Order: sequence, then C-alpha cells, then structure tokens
Amino acid sequence: MRSAITLAVAYLLLLLQSTVLELAPVRMAAPGLGLLVVLHVGLSSKWTVSAAAVVGLCTGYLLDLVSGAPPGLHGFVFILMAMFARALATRVAVRGIVLSAATAFVASLLAAVLVVVVRAQVSPDGGYGGLRQAPLEALLTAFCGPLVLGLLRRIDGRLDPARARVGLARGPRTLGEGIGLR
Amino acid sequence: MTASGTRIRQAGTVAGTLLLALLALRVSAKAPGELSVMDRAILAIVSPAQGALSSLARGIGGVVGRYVDLVRVRGENETLRGENARLRGELTEAKRAAAESSRYQRLLALRDTTPAETLAARVISIDASPYFRVARVEIDRGEGVVKRGMPVMAPEGLVGRINRVAGAASDILLAVDPRSAIDVIIPRTGGRGILRGKAGENGYRCSIEYLTRGESAREGDPVVTSGLGGAFPRDLAVGKVSRVADKAIGLYQEVEVTPDVNFARLSEVLVIVAPPPAPDPDAGSRRVQAPTRGLMVYR
Repeated sequence: MRSAITLAVAYLLLLLQSTVLELAPVRMAAPGLGLLVVLHVGLSSKWTVSAAAVVGLCTGYLLDLVSGAPPGLHGFVFILMAMFARALATRVAVRGIVLSAATAFVASLLAAVLVVVVRAQVSPDGGYGGLRQAPLEALLTAFCGPLVLGLLRRIDGRLDPARARVGLARGPRTLGEGIGLR
Repeated sequence: MTASGTRIRQAGTVAGTLLLALLALRVSAKAPGELSVMDRAILAIVSPAQGALSSLARGIGGVVGRYVDLVRVRGENETLRGENARLRGELTEAKRAAAESSRYQRLLALRDTTPAETLAARVISIDASPYFRVARVEIDRGEGVVKRGMPVMAPEGLVGRINRVAGAASDILLAVDPRSAIDVIIPRTGGRGILRGKAGENGYRCSIEYLTRGESAREGDPVVTSGLGGAFPRDLAVGKVSRVADKAIGLYQEVEVTPDVNFARLSEVLVIVAPPPAPDPDAGSRRVQAPTRGLMVYR
C-alpha cells in the first residue's frame, strides 16, 4: 500500500517536474523531484533496501518514459542513488532543512554524473555533454529537497504513525519486523 | 527466515532490479525508437495527464507573465512620469529663456535705434511700497555713470527717471508716481500738458494736467514726451488717452492716460545717460530732424 502511494506521489512529482519548466522564469533546468522520492525511500528506515531499489527502478523508469530518455537509464541510476541514500543514512541522520538540502544537492550532482556516464556508455553519440546544467539543477533540487522530503515523511507518518521517524537506519526491532517488504 | 537469509533476499532483489534496468537499457540502445507494449501502456496513462498539467502550467505561467509585465509597465510608467515632469520643467525654463531673449532683443533694438547713449538695467524690484511708484534697477558698470534725473525707457515707451543712486542700484521714479511731472504733448491736437501719476490708484494710470483747451483730446490719442525742459528726449511714447472728462468750463482739459509700459511686468529698461550728439551741420545726410515743437534740448 505504502509503495503504491509513494509511486503515485512519484508519478505526480514527475509530471510536475516535466511541466515545471513552463513556470520557471529561467527555462534551463528543473528540480529532480523524482530523485527526491528515491532519496526519501533510501534514507527512511521504514523502507527496506529491496523496496527502495524497486521504487528507484519504477520512478526512474517512469522518468525515462516521461522525459524521453532511453528506458532503463534513470531506472538504473535511481537504484544506485537509493543505495547511496541508504549507505548515507547508516552514517548520518539526515534531519532538518540544511542537511536535507545539502543531501539533495550532492545526490543531484551525483545522479547527473551517473546519468551522463551511463548515457555515454549506452549511446556514445551523446558524449559527456549536459553536465553544465547539473549545478543549477542541483541547486533547484536542494531548494525543493526539504519541502518534498518533509511531505513524503508526513505521508509515511500517516500510513504508519507509530514509526514515522526518518533518518538513521535503526534496523529491525524484532526479528519479525526485519523480514521482507513492510 | 534468518537475518542472513533476509539480506541475501534483499541483495537479490537489488541485483534483480539493476539487471532489469540494464536489460531495458540494452534493449533501448539496440532499438532506440521502439517502445515495448508496457512502455506504450504506461505512456498512454502518463501522456494525457502530462498534457493537462502542461496546459495548466502554461496558463499559470501566462498569468504570472502578465502580472510581471504589469509590474514592469507600472515601473515604466513611474519612470515616464518622472521624465515627463523633468521635460515639463525644461519646457517651462526654455519658454522663460525664450521670453527673456525676446525682451533682450527688443531692448537691443531700442538701444540701436536710440541716438542717445544708453545703459541697460535689470529691474530687481518694483513697487516695494504701495504708496510710492518706484522701481529699483541694477546696472552693471553703471556705478558713477548713472545720475539723478536721467530718463529711463523701455521698448514700449517711457518708464520714468532716476530718482536715487546707490552704487550699482538705482531707484526709478515711475511716470505713474504722483511726484513725477513730465512735459507731454498729444501729437494729433498739439495740446501740451504735465503728466502726473494718479495718487490712490490701484492700477498704473496718469493724468495730464494743464492740458490746454483747443482741439479736444479723444480716447485712444497717443501721448508722447515734448522734450521741453531737457529732462526727456522728445517724441518718446508715453501712453494713450483712456478717458476725457466732459468739462464745460475751465481753461484746461482733464485727461486720463494709460501708459504704454506695463509696469507690473517691467524687467529690463534702458537708462539714457547722455543726450544724442548734436548733428553735424556739414554732413550731407541729416539723420536727425529739426524739432517740430518744444525746445531741442537734447541736440
């Protein structure tokens, strides 16, 4: 249920991301809203690694279809980003506006580099161009990060009020909690 | 299931998703333009919503853009208002300068046509007291040259005479002051009299005293200086008869004169510092005509 709702939110955010350029005063870059969903599931201790990978794949694939990228490109990168977020969450408690924005900024830059690198491997014609927009996109993503991550935390909290905490992965309290997708 | 089993299962899931993504990438790399059935199905759901949201965003963007344009227009309006005010100020200043230039040109023309030696003076105050029709003028390089009694004229006609000199500033006793007495004639009738300012008048008016009865003066008759007494050059325009009293008996006519000079707007005048030079009897051309009436004191 939670996965479905999160994917629906991701879908809406991706639609917004694909149309937000119309509203932007400078039509150069859009914030990576889909990436923020992946970051959320990666950072949240309520999501298992496998569930985060599945959400990453679905969100990325959807972004590929929406943006016209080769199907699988963003899916692949977003799975890696979900792993990055999970690895980060085991070391740093990503809480507060500043830390959320910083995490979103770094993740956006990393994702941009990965997308360009993978694209260069899949279709060499594309080369390594397009990285010039990465800092601006990262800035926009960092600006939206605290808001979107807060929204997703709230949704998670509504779905599971007892365990609405986000941040450092705590691991299963009991053996039963640690089994499979929650 | 044990913890290690869970980890293995999760790792397997992650690896599976990665493989799926790579597989999709490989397929799309081989046939870039082709979409799978699943892709088409997803796009069939996604595209309409994307289109609707895009239209909405474009609409909102249009409204925002129009608002921004409005704000910009408001700013431009403020700028243009400021510029308009500045240009109006400049126009007023230009008109004032043009009027001043015109006055100077008329004064210059008067100076050129006057055979006497003159000095230009700028009026710095007029009628400081309502009881004395006096104007104060400032004359550059006039110190020591301007003397009491010297006549003063404007392009329109007679103004008065110098009454007091203090450095570069001098007071003119205007022709409309009751203390002023100037010998004048009405050229049409030949009648002569003394022009005096009318006391207790709000406007600038004079009357001619001791105007001999002969042919009656009429309203509109011009009045000029006679030149008698040597104080003023002759034939200098003074004003026009504005009222003639219907008096059946007496030696003299009662005539009221409205000066040609608008004393309220007096700004520049000429002071006659020396009478015109005497004509050379040996000269072939006689520029100065012999007097027709009165004494030729300025020759």
